[in-house]
Amino acid sequence: MEAYPLAPVVLTDFIGSALMIVLSCACVRYAFLLRRARPANVLWTYLLAFSLALAAFSVSRGVGHLVGQLLSFAGKGDVWKALLPYSGAVNTLMFVVVGSITLFFQRVQIINREILNDKRDLEKASSEVIRLNRDLQSLVEARTRQLSASEVRYRALFEGSIDVVFIVDDTGRFEDLNQAGVRTLGYESPEELIGVLSLKDVFVKERDYDALAYQLRTHGFVRDRECLLMSRNGDEILVLLGMSAKAPDAHVKGGYHGIAKDITARKRMERQLQRADRLASLGQISAGIAHEINNPLGIILGYAQLIMRGCDKGTQGYEDVRTIERQAQNCRRIVGDLLKFARAADTRKTVVNVNQCLRDLLALLARQFESAGIMVEARLDPELPAVVGDTDKIKQVFMNLLVNAKQAITGSGRIGIETAHDVESGQICVIISDTGVGIPEDLADKVFDPFFTTKPVGEGTGLGLSVSYGIIHDHGGTIELNSEVGKGTVFTIQLPARVDESAKNG
Amino acid sequence: MPPAILGVLLAPGRVWALQVHPEPEGLIAHQLAHLFFATTMAVLAYWLHVNRFVRERGWRLIQISCLLFLLWNIGAFAGHWAAAHLPDDIFVGEPGSLSRKVLSGQSVWVLPYLIFHLDHLICVPAILCLLLGIRSLYVKVLDEDGAGF
Repeated sequence: MEAYPLAPVVLTDFIGSALMIVLSCACVRYAFLLRRARPANVLWTYLLAFSLALAAFSVSRGVGHLVGQLLSFAGKGDVWKALLPYSGAVNTLMFVVVGSITLFFQRVQIINREILNDKRDLEKASSEVIRLNRDLQSLVEARTRQLSASEVRYRALFEGSIDVVFIVDDTGRFEDLNQAGVRTLGYESPEELIGVLSLKDVFVKERDYDALAYQLRTHGFVRDRECLLMSRNGDEILVLLGMSAKAPDAHVKGGYHGIAKDITARKRMERQLQRADRLASLGQISAGIAHEINNPLGIILGYAQLIMRGCDKGTQGYEDVRTIERQAQNCRRIVGDLLKFARAADTRKTVVNVNQCLRDLLALLARQFESAGIMVEARLDPELPAVVGDTDKIKQVFMNLLVNAKQAITGSGRIGIETAHDVESGQICVIISDTGVGIPEDLADKVFDPFFTTKPVGEGTGLGLSVSYGIIHDHGGTIELNSEVGKGTVFTIQLPARVDESAKNG
Repeated sequence: MPPAILGVLLAPGRVWALQVHPEPEGLIAHQLAHLFFATTMAVLAYWLHVNRFVRERGWRLIQISCLLFLLWNIGAFAGHWAAAHLPDDIFVGEPGSLSRKVLSGQSVWVLPYLIFHLDHLICVPAILCLLLGIRSLYVKVLDEDGAGF
């Protein structure tokens, strides 16, 4: 009877089982490596579980078959027969396990897809956040650069301003102040003021500050208010002040910023101009009157002298006419002074040595000063250039000032005479000061007015300073007065120096 | 109480508390397991297809592996079926020796038995495809990480 050999089946089973064990273990190894490379990927975890189940199946089945073949070869077929149901049962179990794990694939891949989607969304959100952060960072950098440039620009404006620019808190305490403010108030650095002093501390008059504070509280701003401030060394500074609240609605709290313009010099110049205008008008009137009076005065004087010639000396008639002649002479002198004030008098200009003029006058007045107990200090610049002018008239100016100085000093005192040359302005400067009673502020502007005098009636005509003013201005110069009651008076005369440097005073 | 119930209580006979599992049950369970295994392999191959995993070489190899395991299960199922129909005396020769033979002409199941018992010719390539597939996936992951392989 024909029979088929079972050897191919046995050999295939034997080798195949061994290969299944080896290959399934290799599957487990790669699945394990895969999972280790990407532990977060649930698909690889699934694949590892699937490989493990298949390996378990392969091992159980392969070992079973191998053991069966070996036992059969060894003639232990009975043993294998006894083990065979267990091997088959384990194999059956492994099939179910592998199949069961397989059925989880769809759920696993859905979970994996959702995880990947979440991850993608997360990465997208993360990159968006990074982009926003980068944009924000660049925006902040750009804004910081703009702010920095703005700060530099406005700081330069603040510090470079020639006016006083300041910021105060709602109590008036300085929060910031520019260099011009520091200089104007006579301090060295802003730190001496900021946080230390308040605006009230630099106001001369407390009521001015109170009025300012009231207006700031009620209106939130002040505009072009003239205020008198006091510098560290006590100098008064007239400023034009403008202030406003930092925030429009926060003028009660939050502080203020302001700009103060120093108008002391401008104000002084305005006063000088006003005075010059007034004196010019007075000069014109005076010149007119003087001319009109001069002619009849000349006639009165002429006739008086003719009558005197016809009268015997010592008679009552002669004495009466002589009185008329003397008073007419007084009037003529006054008229002459008025003409000098009006700069209508004749001037003979030559090269004048100012120092020499002063020395001549001091020599003349020395005994008077000495007897009155007045000390004279003269500091004359030996390099003082000459001026072009009328020597007699210039001497008259100095004489007027020195006599006024002497009269202003009650008891002992000091008169200072100083000359100097300002090369830059091309002016010489003569300063005559005294330690007399001084002139009240309200009278200071009137001292150059003709016939203004504080002396008792009969002791002065009030023309001395007017004449001096006229003479100095006739020489292209200026005369200034600074006086403080109880401390004294300082007259400052400036005259244009002669251009020719060869004629220097000695 | 009804007399019948009383009778049962007073004169109990054989009680079928546990079901008996006669011999073919193990084979049937094994065969059902094969069918279950085959079905899951078909399902996995289908899922890999519809979810477009097969665009990757690794998953494509795994899908081939599934299909081969599907075939193997069918073959194994048929092999077990054929073996169950062969009488014990159809095998001649010393048990455990390579000279053992199966007599032909006595059963129509002899040839199917021999063919389907060469099942390793399918399951070994199946697991080889699985190995190559997982390896391919691993290589791809390493490439993505820039580590090379």
